[in-house]
Amino acid sequence: MIENLIIYFLIPFIKIGAIVLILSGAIAYLTLLERKLIAHIQVRLGPMRVGWHGLLQPIADGLKFVLKEDIVPSKADALIFTLAPMISLIPAFVVFSVVPFGPPGMFEGLLRGILSRFLESASVERIVSNPIASGGFVTDINIAVLFVLSVSSVGILGVILGGWASNSKYPLLGALRSSAQMVSYEVAMGFAIISVLLYAGSLSLVEIVQQQQAGGWWYFFIQPVAFFLLLVCGMAETNRLPFDLPEAETELVGGFHTEYSGFRFSLFFLAEYANMITVSALAVTLFWGGWLPPFPNVPWLGFLGIIPPVAWFLIKVFLILYLFIWVRGTLPRFRFDQLMNYGWKVFLPIALGHVILYAAILAI
Amino acid sequence: MSNTMNFLKRIFLVDILKGLAVTFRYTFKSVYTEQYPKEKPKLAERYKGAPRLNNDPETGETLCIACDLCAQICPEDLIVVGSQRDPESRKKVLTHYTFDTSRCLFCGLCQEVCPTNAIELTQDFELATYSRSSMLWDRERLEKGWDRIEFGKNYHK
Repeated sequence: MIENLIIYFLIPFIKIGAIVLILSGAIAYLTLLERKLIAHIQVRLGPMRVGWHGLLQPIADGLKFVLKEDIVPSKADALIFTLAPMISLIPAFVVFSVVPFGPPGMFEGLLRGILSRFLESASVERIVSNPIASGGFVTDINIAVLFVLSVSSVGILGVILGGWASNSKYPLLGALRSSAQMVSYEVAMGFAIISVLLYAGSLSLVEIVQQQQAGGWWYFFIQPVAFFLLLVCGMAETNRLPFDLPEAETELVGGFHTEYSGFRFSLFFLAEYANMITVSALAVTLFWGGWLPPFPNVPWLGFLGIIPPVAWFLIKVFLILYLFIWVRGTLPRFRFDQLMNYGWKVFLPIALGHVILYAAILAI
Repeated sequence: MSNTMNFLKRIFLVDILKGLAVTFRYTFKSVYTEQYPKEKPKLAERYKGAPRLNNDPETGETLCIACDLCAQICPEDLIVVGSQRDPESRKKVLTHYTFDTSRCLFCGLCQEVCPTNAIELTQDFELATYSRSSMLWDRERLEKGWDRIEFGKNYHK
């Protein structure tokens, strides 16, 4: 009884708490990283005044958001207007419940050390031997990829509702654009992921990483095109710069969140950055071997195992986030018709052809 | 041939990669930003800013011989030189000197015409004040620099 309570209740709760805390901090500092990096690309300094080289800037920003007046426009639909930012933010965090940060059994030693003080050894062994309880992830479900895709598309609802409930021109236009964009890129993204699933033969993210370990190759080296598709579609999904039409400042004032200010705006803002981390984590898990070091089965590269698996995961996620920001600092925004053209006439056929090609190769 | 090249270029995103390479190079360039109130900008050598009335570094007495040339050459007529003739030595002695920075166009004619290098336009450019009357600099301010008198210290260094 107590073992089940610990396995299914206590440990997941601790992990969820840790992930929510760490993720919030990561998002806050991702904004700083973005501002600093873009600044240096443009030969500027970026935030410098709050703390050493602006290190406390995210905290100051957060405080500012909280202290601002909470405005609901008088003609807006108040209930949906308040609900929309939450709908947008919560799925962005929920997705992380299935993302594997480390291998199963990662916390075995730690758990055994702590639990053996309170419980007898038989029940300790029962808890520790449970791969989910001692693994570097909250849970491992056998449809994790579908879960990620479906939950993250709930976030789009928040954008649409927010634009609709504002009862104003520009937010509505932004929301329409974003729904069209997200829906059309979701298709190509799904196909890009399918070709990985064909190879791995599983929908569980943990299983996919383990397959990459067994194969000895990260899937990036086998399917670079699929990775590229996932990356581009991920940028479109998260409204990052080459595809940031929903909030195109120059055309739409502020896009779907024009009427939002203060804390509600910050929720949308957090959601955008959380989605960025989600896409990076998904790309790392599917294509860059999750927690694995490079070429996990090559013996003379064994020394790379010194760096713990979680660190490998974080390093890779950081690199992909860097790429996201780097691309933002480089490319201008697409026009809306170009966006749709690329989505339906370029990426979708490539993704489809890619799936067919790999399915044929695997069948032979 | 050029068509296939263009096609390959588009497929492998050559132009985007070139752009990324440019921005990556720029990431490590030294920045242009000046942290202005913290660090002062480097001014041009001949920048003409706040006026100063120089003293003789040895005796500590003013270098100004009250010849009135600066007041006469000034295109804005903003310098007023007050002098008195010393009855014993029959020399002109400076009594007061005012310089209206609100009208000054920093042409530098006064420092050029000065025979003893008494009036000089320095590199100090922070001349903003809270009132129009404080833009009229008297002799004390011209000799010591204005912020030392207003704030008791040179606060921004």
